[in-house]
Amino acid sequence: MRCSSALFVCLLGSALSAAHAQGSFRERLKDSGFKIAHETYVDDNWEIFVMDADGSHPVNLTKTPKENEHYPQISPDGTKIAFSVDLGEGREAVRSLYVMDIDGSHRKKLVDNAREPFWSPDSKTIGFLPQEFPKFNVIDFYTKGMSFYDLATGKIEPHVNSAKLHHLYNPSWARNGRWIVSTVHAGMGVDHGILLIEAHGTNIFNLHIPGCRPCLSPDGKQIAWGAGDHEIAAAPINLEADHPVVSEWTLRVKDGTNKIYHVDWSPDSRFLGFSRGPDGEGDLTKPGTFQAACEIVGVHAAGWNLCAVPADRHGVLDLNSPDETDLLVLTTNGNSNKEPAWFKPGH
Amino acid sequence: MRTRVSSRTPPRRFPCGRVLSGCLMVSSALILFSACEKAGPPSSADKSQATAAAPGSSTPAAVTTKSGIEMISLPGGEFSMGSDHGNPDEAPAHKVRVSPFLIDKYEVTHAMWAKVQLPDPSHWQDNPKGPVERVRWRDAKGYCNERSLAEGLKPCYNEKTPDWDCDYAATGYRLPTEAEWEYACRGATEDSFDFGSADKLRQYAWYGEDAEQKTHPGGQKKPNGFGIYDLYGNVSEWCEDVYSATFYKESPALDPVGPPNPGKDTKRVIRGGSWKSSADQCRVSARQGERTGDTDACFSTDFCGFRCVRRASPDDVRQLMGTPKAGS
Repeated sequence: MRCSSALFVCLLGSALSAAHAQGSFRERLKDSGFKIAHETYVDDNWEIFVMDADGSHPVNLTKTPKENEHYPQISPDGTKIAFSVDLGEGREAVRSLYVMDIDGSHRKKLVDNAREPFWSPDSKTIGFLPQEFPKFNVIDFYTKGMSFYDLATGKIEPHVNSAKLHHLYNPSWARNGRWIVSTVHAGMGVDHGILLIEAHGTNIFNLHIPGCRPCLSPDGKQIAWGAGDHEIAAAPINLEADHPVVSEWTLRVKDGTNKIYHVDWSPDSRFLGFSRGPDGEGDLTKPGTFQAACEIVGVHAAGWNLCAVPADRHGVLDLNSPDETDLLVLTTNGNSNKEPAWFKPGH
Repeated sequence: MRTRVSSRTPPRRFPCGRVLSGCLMVSSALILFSACEKAGPPSSADKSQATAAAPGSSTPAAVTTKSGIEMISLPGGEFSMGSDHGNPDEAPAHKVRVSPFLIDKYEVTHAMWAKVQLPDPSHWQDNPKGPVERVRWRDAKGYCNERSLAEGLKPCYNEKTPDWDCDYAATGYRLPTEAEWEYACRGATEDSFDFGSADKLRQYAWYGEDAEQKTHPGGQKKPNGFGIYDLYGNVSEWCEDVYSATFYKESPALDPVGPPNPGKDTKRVIRGGSWKSSADQCRVSARQGERTGDTDACFSTDFCGFRCVRRASPDDVRQLMGTPKAGS
């Protein structure tokens, strides 16, 4: 009995300690004042939701039963959201880019047959990747070229090296405006890789890090990316150099059970948000969805939720460790919650 | 535009002129299909004659589809599938009968893939006549459906079912069954290669010994006895069937389509050697099971390609015999 009691007390203490630590991390997020936009699948429809950084106060920004919104990207000044919209089903679907104010108002279509918007650091331009062919395909690297939409004039200009940019996906613009980082798959002579592309020039460097979906930190000093299906990594990168390279990895977030994808930095570069859930290939019974790897935009990811971890932690962060307190699960409904995008309102 | 036959023992085209060939092809096709019940594939003894589609024989015929893709019309028939002298999953050798069908003369190329507006996932894309690889099983089926739609045929695959169930009665393109693939590769031989012994493999296949660790444009090696190229090498080819190491013990004898999907850890059959295979893996009866890659956003199996088959009535074949080839 004494042993059992001791064990109980020990376990209780550990649970309380974990709860306290969890609370601390939650408090840090809550006190940050940040919000997170994301895509989710509710009532047979994709929508964009916004919630507080600790997962509280979720709000549906789109409420469009017949249009499927995905991939929210917040302008660095925190005032606008660029996103993609799918209309139609299967090979007849059309994916278009839109922009709206941060509260969901003033929704405006920018261009058809395009995907994966990303913001210039001055919030004046939305970069995007034109679709490779007119016929719809859900695969993420189904892109050819790169273009820029000027919000003030409505003009679209191709990247100076657009003709040579092929099969890019998940681009992210560096704070200094000089570089765009992106995944490439089966294009530009690269099997699969993460490239640093000169925003207004022709230089392209392979960062030689494994994985996909890179995201540059708002402080301009770090990169985070999916180093594998079950790992997110972060590392310093010297983006002021003429040939930037990634330094030794500082943080490795691991989940041996679930897939973890879509990492995004908080505006102060202190937190990372990401999507997490079981492997899957979609659910074609759900309208407006497609069949492919479930991390891909437009593919229903059953059981997927959003999480946050501190970015300033070093070493390995094992999401399945019972002792891990630096993890906050932000959504719990499993409604295909993906593509988190942090922002500071009115910033 | 299509890959032309190399100088190495090319299969002869129809020897007659166009007018004459038109007349003869009709009778040839009719006889071909009526003969398939009683005649198996041609013997391996006279391979270079096989694709000449001599009128009055049950030999295969070269056709060109509406979108300009070259295929070989095979008469179908009974053959010995598997081997009692290979790997355990190849046994027992058993009699199988397949119905007539058309099969691509070449593995699906980058140019063919781009024509139906699909994103090319291949590692090597430097030559449009090279075979696509790193293709997921379902993406290969997607190509089949796109090609069917482009030619006004009824797609075989129901894209609304998890496995994209196959309607074998549909007129469109699909992946070959494992039995169709082996029939198309081995012809009448019961040996490991339809051309004889393994020491000639370099003449017929890009494989581990001669491919220099990469794929090559299709049609550069000798075709098999039916006039089909690169079955033994270049890229391994997806089949429709679920892979089961023990299926041959229970396989039906007529048009087998493989075992049902077990629903977990499913592998699909891939057949034929690839640029990285050993000679042993290139044998006509060698089998492999491969995960389909459907949940892998970055499927990287760079030895995995495919070719298409379809059913075709004698009338269809007659029509296709008169279709000009792409680029001609």
